Amino acid sequence: MKKQWIKSIVVGLVALSVWNCKTSDPEPTPYESGVFILNAGNFSSNNGTVSFLSRASQTVATNIFQTANPSLVLSGGVQGYTEVNGKGLILVDNNTAGQDKVEIVDYATFKSLATLKSPDIENPRQVIQAGPNKAYISCWDVSGDFSAGTFYKDPGYIAVVDLNTRTVTKKIAAVKGVENMVVVGTEVFVGSNAYSGNKTLMVIDLNTDSVKERIDFGSTPEPIAVDANNKLWLRAGSALVRVNPATRLTEQRLTFSETPGSVVISTDKQAFYYTLGGKTYQISINATNATGTVVISRSFSTLGVDPQTKRIYGTQNPLLYTQAGYVIRYESSGALVDSIKAEIAPSGFYFR
Amino acid sequence: MKTQSLRWWVLGWFVGFIAGQQATAQSDSATTSRLSNAVSLSAVTVRAIAPERFLAGQKIQRIDSTTLLQFRFASITDALAFNTPLAFKNYGPGQLATVSFRGTSASHTAVLWNGININQPNLGLTDFSTIPVAGFDRLAVQYGSSSSAVGSDAVGGSILLGSTPSWQPGIRLMVGQQIASFRNNQTHLGAQYALPLGASWKLSGKSLIYRSQLNNEYPYTERQHYFLEPSTTSQRGLIQDLTFLHKSGRQLSINAWLTDNDLIQSPQDTLARERTRTQSARLLATYEANRMTIRVGWIRDILDYAKGNLNNPSHTQTNRFITRIEREFALASNRPYQLTLRTGAEWSHYGTRTDGYGGQLIEEDRADLYALLRFQTTRWLLSANVRQAFVTRFNPPLTPSVGAEYRLVQQKRFTLTAKGAVSRSYRVPTLNERYWADLGNPNLLPENGFNLETGLATAGALSDHLNLTAELSAYRNRVDNWTYWNPTTNYHVENLQLVVARGLELTTGLIYTQADWKAGIRLGYAFTRSSQERAYDAYSQDVIGKQLVYVPLHSGTLNTYLQQGRSRISLQMQANSRRYTTFDNSQFFKGSVLANVVLEHSVNWRFMLVRIQGQVNNVFDTLVLGVKRNAMPGRNWAINLIINFPSNTQ
Repeated sequence: MKKQWIKSIVVGLVALSVWNCKTSDPEPTPYESGVFILNAGNFSSNNGTVSFLSRASQTVATNIFQTANPSLVLSGGVQGYTEVNGKGLILVDNNTAGQDKVEIVDYATFKSLATLKSPDIENPRQVIQAGPNKAYISCWDVSGDFSAGTFYKDPGYIAVVDLNTRTVTKKIAAVKGVENMVVVGTEVFVGSNAYSGNKTLMVIDLNTDSVKERIDFGSTPEPIAVDANNKLWLRAGSALVRVNPATRLTEQRLTFSETPGSVVISTDKQAFYYTLGGKTYQISINATNATGTVVISRSFSTLGVDPQTKRIYGTQNPLLYTQAGYVIRYESSGALVDSIKAEIAPSGFYFR
Repeated sequence: MKTQSLRWWVLGWFVGFIAGQQATAQSDSATTSRLSNAVSLSAVTVRAIAPERFLAGQKIQRIDSTTLLQFRFASITDALAFNTPLAFKNYGPGQLATVSFRGTSASHTAVLWNGININQPNLGLTDFSTIPVAGFDRLAVQYGSSSSAVGSDAVGGSILLGSTPSWQPGIRLMVGQQIASFRNNQTHLGAQYALPLGASWKLSGKSLIYRSQLNNEYPYTERQHYFLEPSTTSQRGLIQDLTFLHKSGRQLSINAWLTDNDLIQSPQDTLARERTRTQSARLLATYEANRMTIRVGWIRDILDYAKGNLNNPSHTQTNRFITRIEREFALASNRPYQLTLRTGAEWSHYGTRTDGYGGQLIEEDRADLYALLRFQTTRWLLSANVRQAFVTRFNPPLTPSVGAEYRLVQQKRFTLTAKGAVSRSYRVPTLNERYWADLGNPNLLPENGFNLETGLATAGALSDHLNLTAELSAYRNRVDNWTYWNPTTNYHVENLQLVVARGLELTTGLIYTQADWKAGIRLGYAFTRSSQERAYDAYSQDVIGKQLVYVPLHSGTLNTYLQQGRSRISLQMQANSRRYTTFDNSQFFKGSVLANVVLEHSVNWRFMLVRIQGQVNNVFDTLVLGVKRNAMPGRNWAINLIINFPSNTQ
């Protein structure tokens, strides 16, 4: 009887210790799969956030960086986000010079791993993966007075980030108002913000992190994506332009009545979605004239396409900046799914 | 056009009426002044500006001179934040600070300097960081709507700044110097003088120049991961007051106040630096004879903003020329009650050249007619006021108010007074709201407020050494046609919102005096619930009923001191609950407690009176955030030296 008693205690203890081991297992990964909503926040309030929406839910988890890192703050507008080798890079744009930063977080827990600050990072605009452990961040550099023409420093730069050392290893002098970057093979095509007046399409060699070529483009090139045929698309003025990345030659130019907004490529890379004159359209990559078909009879501040569900995500237009904005979801057919309250000025998506 | 000319006709008639009444009224007051001393006393009180006498039933708080001396080197923001429930929206040390008075917006507080509204007319508000406490002698806070007595902007309340002539004969000089943390420093140089001018006249004057340099060289760049913003602020000012007093009581005062405030943000970066330069020139002449007051004022406000290249700023310049004539009638003064009528007419001419309006000269005229009635018995104080304003291409409403105070208990050592007031208020839109290119709206309606308040005030001696004062007020202020720069219409300004503010305020003070010892404690608590109540589009649903941004629901102040002879230790505390930063209350700044400790001692040294103050600000090292989510500085100190000579004064 006594033995039995001891046995049960031992079994109990073993069970308890096993259970204990279980509880100290790897941390939960609440953000493993879903949609990251990048909220720009209000101008000069520096209150941007990242919210997380799990695909089945209609409620976002707010300010997940703060949740994961209670003692830290983003304090700026969230300008961009991407992931490289299990690490997320959050671009934070503060409206005071010298206070911008890039938070590097664990992609699944959003716990902060490192912070890149000024002068390495100044007005970060876009981040892309540029290698297995490398990211490029386009930066305008310090901005001056728009009306005096000193807003865009000439040139801006691309910060090369090594995700192993979590440091900026190089600044590549780029173009004025440097912004969008699209990788094609071992090259990156770099353009500018439409207001910068810069007309150079720059090509960077990914292997050497150096400028390979500068192509005079006639109007400001804003690279968008590579299509199913491995052709580069960019927006230039009110036109969508298809470029052969190998020959650098323009193959197609679709000129619209006004500048198409929020241009995103579809999941199968066979078409683009864009907004124009209060509506949202779709146009094939093989189109020969600038006539799209209406998908949704309203426009959005930002469009996103979820590669998993092919759903279209649009953000409220216009954004209000002083109260939480909404994300409206549609099937790829244009059928309304639902409307979800995000945070202040939702202006970008990252789907995982 | 027809109504416009009708208005001017009415105005002209009214002014004529006042002028015509002058002769009879003058002889009337001359007779009565011979009859009793009490009347000549009230003739002195006539010098007090209207809102202090004709708003029965409303709360007025006078900040005492000792407190003003403690905040001598501070901006009015700090003096008010630690002594009143006013909430401030602060952008950083030495940067823009705007007020929310009883849950209203920054343009709903009238700031009066010697009776003249000095709110910057383009913005319709005062940047409190540009008003140093050194700039005035008296500070009072008038709670609640008082548009009937004050005019536009007095929706949440009014701040009354005033100059007080000193008639002590001779010349006194003053030197003040502050040395503070972060390589900040200030200097004051002044003189006060009074002398007879012949047999009938005497002159009192004050001249003061001040300068301050906030370098804000913090030894840290972040506090708890929040950045501090690099900025410098240079401030200069000149005050010249001259008062000529005739033995008959006639008085002519000249007041001049020049200010120059130069803020540079991010000074370390020649491309990104931003400079905001605010300059004001305020000149005022006041002539008071018997029961008539004539004021002529001229105010120029300049606002220059530049980024990067500081030599080519965007320029805003607005001039105002103000004339006001007021006449007081003692309708019944030698009876057991007093009945006083004060009528006034005001005309001002505005001219602005603002780059944002297109740079051309825009002019407008504003006029006001008002009548204020005050009835007083031993127990009752009643007031009834009415004002009609006229503004070019604009139609302000008729603005009446009535108020009453009744002494419930009137004993030798204890009084208890019940108060109540009902008032309408209005706000003439700011010049920006009316004229800003594309976004402004010349057809805006006046904001329209209706304020109800009630209160109880008591004062009593608990013993020979212990005195208590306490006041409890409750109010409800409903402001309709509240303007809003509407994002859904590309930020055009519209009369969209309806804001209801309601609240409770409690202030108590206890003072203990015995022989050489003195101790005091003053506690203030305010509950302020202010919310937007109208649905004007689909998304406004998320805002209805939500607390206004930067207005804490609960706030409190505590001031306590212990004094022995000429040494004094004081503790100043200010606490507030969370402040929401977004209209839908989805984001907020945490509540905070700020505390300062001030040690003071004054000594006579040779012919000088030397006052030394040592102060430690933010003793708890609390993290407070500015509007841009930058950290305010942590614990810091200052040493102030104020030397008065000759020392037989003060």
